[in-house]
Amino acid sequence: MPRLDDPAAESLRVEARAEDARLSAGCRAGSIEAYEELYRAQSTRMKSIAMNLLGNAHDAEDVVQETFLKIHRGIRYFKGQSAFSTWTYRILVNCCYDMRRKKTRRMETAEQDLVAEDQTFDSPAPMHDHPLRMALEKCVQQLTPYLRSVFLLYEVEGFKHAEIGLMLGISEMASKNALYQAKRKLRELLSQQAGSGQMAASQS
Amino acid sequence: MSDLQKGFQQFDCSILEQALREESPELIAALEQHATNCESCRTELNIWREISAAALAMHKEWESPALWPQIENSLQTEMARPRGWRTWFADLNLVPKMRWQVALATLVFVAASGMGAWFLMHRNVSTPTNDAHLLTDQAVQQVEQAQKTYEQSIDKLAKLAEPKLNAASTPLLKNYREKLDLLDSAISECRTNLEKNQANAYLRSELLSFYQEKQQTLEQVLREE
Repeated sequence: MPRLDDPAAESLRVEARAEDARLSAGCRAGSIEAYEELYRAQSTRMKSIAMNLLGNAHDAEDVVQETFLKIHRGIRYFKGQSAFSTWTYRILVNCCYDMRRKKTRRMETAEQDLVAEDQTFDSPAPMHDHPLRMALEKCVQQLTPYLRSVFLLYEVEGFKHAEIGLMLGISEMASKNALYQAKRKLRELLSQQAGSGQMAASQS
Repeated sequence: MSDLQKGFQQFDCSILEQALREESPELIAALEQHATNCESCRTELNIWREISAAALAMHKEWESPALWPQIENSLQTEMARPRGWRTWFADLNLVPKMRWQVALATLVFVAASGMGAWFLMHRNVSTPTNDAHLLTDQAVQQVEQAQKTYEQSIDKLAKLAEPKLNAASTPLLKNYREKLDLLDSAISECRTNLEKNQANAYLRSELLSFYQEKQQTLEQVLREE
């Protein structure tokens, strides 16, 4: 980790801030090129977050599109309280929450659709697989939206607690705390799964 | 050796939770050292790390060549669309942090307008005296009561505008400040005269018009960016 007084790290930070300011100014001015640049820089991570929060690639892409529209509508209110990219992820996470709420309402009214949707769960292949991944993905879906968001943003997407705090409107300490709670819950769920797997194996 | 370092050397299983929660490099280093001799902590630490390693594999990447063109289209449509009244209204908020102040100013404005209307409706109350410019004691009491409430509302508005006026940097805001100073001295003069002749309806209406002018000016100040 670069030290705070490291001149190289400091110059990188200054560069990143300038880039951030340039991109936000471009978007504020309504430049499609600036939005495209933002898309090229952030869409991979945006899609991954949305995919993990929503469970399917189609919804994830819809949410990313909605996020760009909301960035355009809200850019005049962005006053640089956080990095521009952090602000865009905050919008993304809120869009995901909205989409989940809408889906939950739809599912409540049509439970049959829920079953059909579960069966057609389409998940793109991960970049690097891990023997625990599938079990973990199932367990992550059982976390509360808040714990799930913190876990995904920190462990999967590599954001810092300070950034997560800004995205979710919580303190850095609350983010650390939520991550700990999420991992403890996941540990519990994974050991339950392992236990039931062993039981099923012994029964067969 | 600092107390903290001594503490780390004497790491015991009870602070495992704290180490995993805080993830400070010092505590994790102490935990790692402790885990070499403590099986339960070693297991816990390994599980914790396995979860983190498996989480990295949850990152998804896939090609979506149609997505950017769709976003571009929707952005262009949005940019071409005329701005609705909601957007214009939203623009009035200007700074999100100011929203509660704007809401309060609106509330004060509504209260002040109500009081103003009431004041206006009652200023021409016909009196049983022959002189139409003079008010009865009861009417004076009512008018004074309404005037007091109206003044309080305007004072609240003035308090909201005060920081902006004190930090006035634009010529427009400076003009507003001067105008408000003039209005204050006119109000003060009018009130002195009224104290000598409380039943004078003409002076009352003068005072009201000064207050109304002050109210409008303060509202303009609050709206000014």
